[in-house]
Amino acid sequence: MSRKGKRRIISAVRGIFLLLVCLACLIPFVWMIMVSFRNRVDILDPSKIFVAPTLKNYQAIIEESNILDFFKNSLVIAVVSTLISLVVGSFAAYGFARYNWKTREDRAFWVLSQKFLPPMAVVIPYFMMASMAGLLDTKLVLIICYTTFNIPFTIWMMRGFIEDMPIELEEAGWVDGCSRFTGIVKILLPLITPGLVATSIFCVINSWNEFVFANFLTSIQAKTIPTSVMMYLSVSGVKWGEMAATGVLAVLPVLIFAIIVQKHMIRGLTFGSVKG
Amino acid sequence: MRRKEKEYLKYIAPAMVTMIVLSVVPTIFLTIISFTNYQLGWDFSKTEFVGVKNFVRLFSGADRDFWHSVFISLAFMVLATAIELVLGFLIGLCLNSSEFKLKPLVIGIMIIPLVITPSIAAQMWKLMLNSEYGIVNHFLNTLFGFKITWLSEKMAFWSILMVDVWQYTPFVTLIVYAGLRSVPDEPYESAAIDGATKLQELFYITIPMIKKLVYLTLLFRVIDCLKLFDIAYVLTQGGPGTATEFLSLHIFRMANAQNGLIGRAAAIALVLLVLTTCISKVLIKKMRKEEAV
Repeated sequence: MSRKGKRRIISAVRGIFLLLVCLACLIPFVWMIMVSFRNRVDILDPSKIFVAPTLKNYQAIIEESNILDFFKNSLVIAVVSTLISLVVGSFAAYGFARYNWKTREDRAFWVLSQKFLPPMAVVIPYFMMASMAGLLDTKLVLIICYTTFNIPFTIWMMRGFIEDMPIELEEAGWVDGCSRFTGIVKILLPLITPGLVATSIFCVINSWNEFVFANFLTSIQAKTIPTSVMMYLSVSGVKWGEMAATGVLAVLPVLIFAIIVQKHMIRGLTFGSVKG
Repeated sequence: MRRKEKEYLKYIAPAMVTMIVLSVVPTIFLTIISFTNYQLGWDFSKTEFVGVKNFVRLFSGADRDFWHSVFISLAFMVLATAIELVLGFLIGLCLNSSEFKLKPLVIGIMIIPLVITPSIAAQMWKLMLNSEYGIVNHFLNTLFGFKITWLSEKMAFWSILMVDVWQYTPFVTLIVYAGLRSVPDEPYESAAIDGATKLQELFYITIPMIKKLVYLTLLFRVIDCLKLFDIAYVLTQGGPGTATEFLSLHIFRMANAQNGLIGRAAAIALVLLVLTTCISKVLIKKMRKEEAV
């Protein structure tokens, strides 16, 4: 076979492989959207792929369950935890980016290792401390828990973004009589705002998707979206339609956010340790 | 001068203190609980220190379920990481080997599984894998004429593995792809002159060049697999029986409202904590060494 023909076959195989990968990634998501518009009977009969769509499932979750409260809980918890982490974490990130001391990298990697703390291991003491303080099933306890992973995440993300900015800009400000702090606020802050936005979006996504703490520490009042989908398992079977509709509503904001921060996706996924 | 040396403390102290309070204090508390017989709802006056009894029970082999959990957790960790790494690498190489217009779209699509709420994705898979009316079995039946009971005792472990691979292979792909793009052309040019095969190029140039990223991916995937909870909890709740009761699910079963054996659960949680800490320490060390070179 000619060299050109061989190359063509290889690139065709590669194309088919990538197509299959894309299909595999998409199908569960697309099926969720389709199920959310199906009647109960149609869900139990997959032989017909396309059926007349219905809005019944969406109507049911909005009218009959308190799913909107759970959305509100998720949102409040994610936003407050993100804001706290952003303030505390960014200052630490500045320290790591602009000062040099002997144990700096050891400290930085200790921060990173916080990401690898299994939530299932620390959730038991959290549960006991929260129950002693009367904080079980409140938004506050989840906000506290989520800062445990949002602060280290912010530190690593923001350290990278700050290091990308040349220190000379701030130094010029100091010469003009700025204090270090005004330098941060007036010179550095406007420059790193895109980084702050990206970091906060990742924090919100991570908090939005969290399951273990939410499952253990909340039951009714402060229930969030990821654990609320467990409700649809009832004695009379699973309400798949309602579940899928909730899933669609829960995943949509995450996907929109993901599109916004696509440029920083690798940095975000690797806790800021790879500048992609 | 001395004051200036420690100036960084002003910036990092609030975050460091918060993290120590939020992670070290619970860890100490966990260790204390693991030496007691505390049960859910008990008054603390009733609680007694039982020394290392909880740990003796675990390690003497009396607790069969524990060793089963350790075994399947480690097996899952090795298998999932290996499959995701190989598959992700393969897709990354494919993406890197040619330029085409739709590439941003392909990458965009691969981000979808990564950011979807895992518990919701798992619910969807549960519907798709349903043996009677799931779409997967429907297709298998029409195309090949057989069905698989995906969440049965024999298959549940593999189903969870499949969902994990579905959700996290793109993670490996994205990182590998980013790494591959940063590798310069020159080594490949001289290798081509020396007559190296594609496979030799892969093992002697590509992989060594992105070694740090490979360690990093390994670190993230290994630890995430070890602490896996949501996907397995939604798909099987550890069952059927204890077939898919990974360590996190075992801890959950011990500590939940029905059993409430907090003391014993804490001992298992401590084992999980030590296990993940050791593994992440080793891998972080390897990664940092790579960086220094």
